[in-house]
Amino acid sequence: MSNRNAFLFFLVGTLASLVLFLALTWDTHQQVDALTNADKLSDQVVAGKHVFEKKNCNECHTILGFGVYYAPDLTRAYARIGAEGIKTVVLQPEVVFKDSFRKMPNLDVTEQEADDLVAFLEWTSNIDNHDWPPQDKKFTKSADQRRLEGAGLSPGAAAFKEYCMSCHSIGGEGAASGRPSTRWAPSTTRPPSRRTSQLPPQSIRTRRCPPRTDLTEQDRQAIGEFLAKQN
Amino acid sequence: MQQTATVRAGGIGMGVRDEKLVPYASQRVAYWYFVVALALFVLQIVVGLWLAISYAFTIPQSIVDVLPFGMTRAMHTNLLVLWLLLGFMGGTYYLVPEEAEREIYSVPIAYIQLVAFVAIGVAALIGFGFGYTQGRPLLEIPTPLDFLVVAGALLFLFNVGMTVLKGKKTAILGMLLGGLVFLALLYIFGMPFYRNLTIDWFYWWWVVHLWVEGAWELVTAAILAFVLIKVTGVNRKVVEKYLYIETALFLFTGLAGTGHHYYWIGAPRTWLYVGGIFSAMEVLPIVAMVIDTFRTQREKGVVIKDKVVWTFALGTAIGHLVGAGIWGFAHTLPQVNYYTHGSQVTASHGHLAFFGAYALLNFTMFWYALPRLRGVVKFKSSTAILGFWVMSLAVLGLGVAMGVAGVLQTYIERIMGQGFMTAQAQMQFWFKVVLFFGVFILLGVLISFWHLMTARQAAEDAAETP
Ligand code: HEC
Ligand code: HEM
Ligand code: HEM
Ligand SMILES: [Fe+2]
Repeated sequence: MSNRNAFLFFLVGTLASLVLFLALTWDTHQQVDALTNADKLSDQVVAGKHVFEKKNCNECHTILGFGVYYAPDLTRAYARIGAEGIKTVVLQPEVVFKDSFRKMPNLDVTEQEADDLVAFLEWTSNIDNHDWPPQDKKFTKSADQRRLEGAGLSPGAAAFKEYCMSCHSIGGEGAASGRPSTRWAPSTTRPPSRRTSQLPPQSIRTRRCPPRTDLTEQDRQAIGEFLAKQN
Repeated sequence: MQQTATVRAGGIGMGVRDEKLVPYASQRVAYWYFVVALALFVLQIVVGLWLAISYAFTIPQSIVDVLPFGMTRAMHTNLLVLWLLLGFMGGTYYLVPEEAEREIYSVPIAYIQLVAFVAIGVAALIGFGFGYTQGRPLLEIPTPLDFLVVAGALLFLFNVGMTVLKGKKTAILGMLLGGLVFLALLYIFGMPFYRNLTIDWFYWWWVVHLWVEGAWELVTAAILAFVLIKVTGVNRKVVEKYLYIETALFLFTGLAGTGHHYYWIGAPRTWLYVGGIFSAMEVLPIVAMVIDTFRTQREKGVVIKDKVVWTFALGTAIGHLVGAGIWGFAHTLPQVNYYTHGSQVTASHGHLAFFGAYALLNFTMFWYALPRLRGVVKFKSSTAILGFWVMSLAVLGLGVAMGVAGVLQTYIERIMGQGFMTAQAQMQFWFKVVLFFGVFILLGVLISFWHLMTARQAAEDAAETP
């Protein structure tokens, strides 16, 4: 090959790849709104993104798999631990992770900022990204599915499925196989709250449940009865 | 330093020997670029040790609250990018006069620009300490400082561009300048605030991927071609031909290959195919570069004039192949990347690739230029070679340890579906291994730094290099 031809090879190769790359970039912009539910990308979500950047959450956590690998990926955090879970962690990490071998700093997040973060993480949890991360598939799929499946069950079983089974399992069904498990859950060390202490003891034996303050009084009652019957 | 002073005072056209060593007076601006770059590298590694400690042991809440992991990690990576870029700029200022056969357009601009970049870097690092960042990994520098970076880059490009414009134009210079302009242009895409997180990451990779797998590869190919010609004396025409072929392959595969970062961000499915296929081909130019380097060595009549530089040049080619080529290929197909994405596998690859390709490339240039700038023609090479092996093997050890941790994480977290922290608990041991090798990296770099600054002219007969 002469040097002139080598140079032509350089030009043609580069341009071909560039054209393909820019065409796909255009296509991405066409499709991204649908894939990311841009209609739900409200000002509060954007405010949450600002907080996320201001507080450097991404310098320990990944989101969509990018960032830093020191702490759990947050893409589906909303699906894993819900709004209250996120707020509790963000507002008092020093309490939630008191017994953990790796700490999250208290970043002086205000109540308002925590709400914005929740909005942001709720939005990210619905991005259609071919079901990544794999370990969180069980949480995202379930949202509608669980509700449907619960239709034929007792109110207590349905509520347990809806609210508890993302961490706990029962009889081989649920988050992890076979036994009450908090494998993925943040290790909360808050003493059992007044709410949970009304439940039968076996449901709180791990003391590591993300607080579910979104439970109604009826649901809590039903779950208690349901679990009591299991023994 | 003594010898530097002599050479400086002499200026060009002094003695025959000095003139041959550093033909143009303005090449000396490279000296301070290199020294500052090396000092920042040492700092980067010290911070890296702290990161490994944070992974391997439990840091109490009281320390985490004031010195969060993320703050130090931002320092680690920004120091890396800063010293590598300063090294590239110094290397550029060193080789451009020899290629263009004229002095640098403006020496004062070159120094102002160095001071500007160091000042921006120091301001950014102190800022990180107070939480003043953009909060986006690798692109943490706050927007006002971004504008200063752009201004500094424009000064640099202007200075180099004017030199090339007024001097001889070679293929190496064309490629170098092209790479540098591309590099500066891409930086702009990382500056705005994007409302949509998916779009944010989309353009984030225009900076990160298109830098390391695009623009920087052009700069690398150009600098290596320069060193090859100088050290082996092979025919320039042949080197230039390979330069075109390699960069053609780099850009052909690397541009569309950006898609290997768009698999799981909420972008269209097409990227899985395009990204997978093109990025898998990214290994080709790297292999071509290795073959090219060895071919040069075997060419008839070639006498390697500088054993140390040659060791580093071969090390760069092979380090590039291992860290970027093999480690990159290992997790670039979507079928694999689905499980390894954003795990310690990525960190392992990041270290091996950045060190193998870009840290070693800079050291190749340092070992070519710094002794000459210090007026040393021949020196005992054993310490330099020792430095090479200590740091290279230590980085390999660190990369492998992170890799093992990453495979554990992939299995426990991604395949078995257990929690992040459950996996991390199983990985703790390997972070201690990372820390262990980290200490040796520091040692290797300190040996190299010290020897680069102090190597003395050896008596003719004691010198090892012919
Ligand atoms: C210095 C590092 C660091 C920073 C900064 C940080 N975190 Fe964390 N975060 C952690 C660690 C470590 C854990 C996991 C601790 C454990 O599970 O034992 C964690 C856990 C979490 C969890 C629980 C995840 C789960 O599913 O269990 C959420 C949610 C979270 N962080 C949100 C945030 C948000 C939002 C920010 C920014 C305001 C933030 N973090 C900043 C280190 C950090
Ligand atoms: C010298 C060149 C290279 C350097 C310096 C480099 C560096 C890096 C770094 C630092 C990251 C992590 C970025 C982050 O998420 O924070 C990364 C990711 C990645 N690199 Fe490279 N890389 C190089 C070449 C390559 C090549 C040639 C390939 C493929 C053949 C490759 C494949 C990948 C992939 C697939 C990822 C994404 C990992 C993930 O999903 O988490 N890299 N690279
Ligand atoms: C003492 C030696 C070193 C140690 C202990 C060390 C440790 C670390 C750690 C723990 C991280 C954070 C990973 C994460 O959680 O995201 C990191 C990031 C990084 N370090 Fe180092 N490091 C060292 C030296 C180096 C060297 C020599 C280089 C390159 C030449 C380098 C380049 C990087 C890069 C590119 C990242 C970002 C990786 C990514 O985003 O995937 N480090 N380092
Ligand atoms: Fe890439």
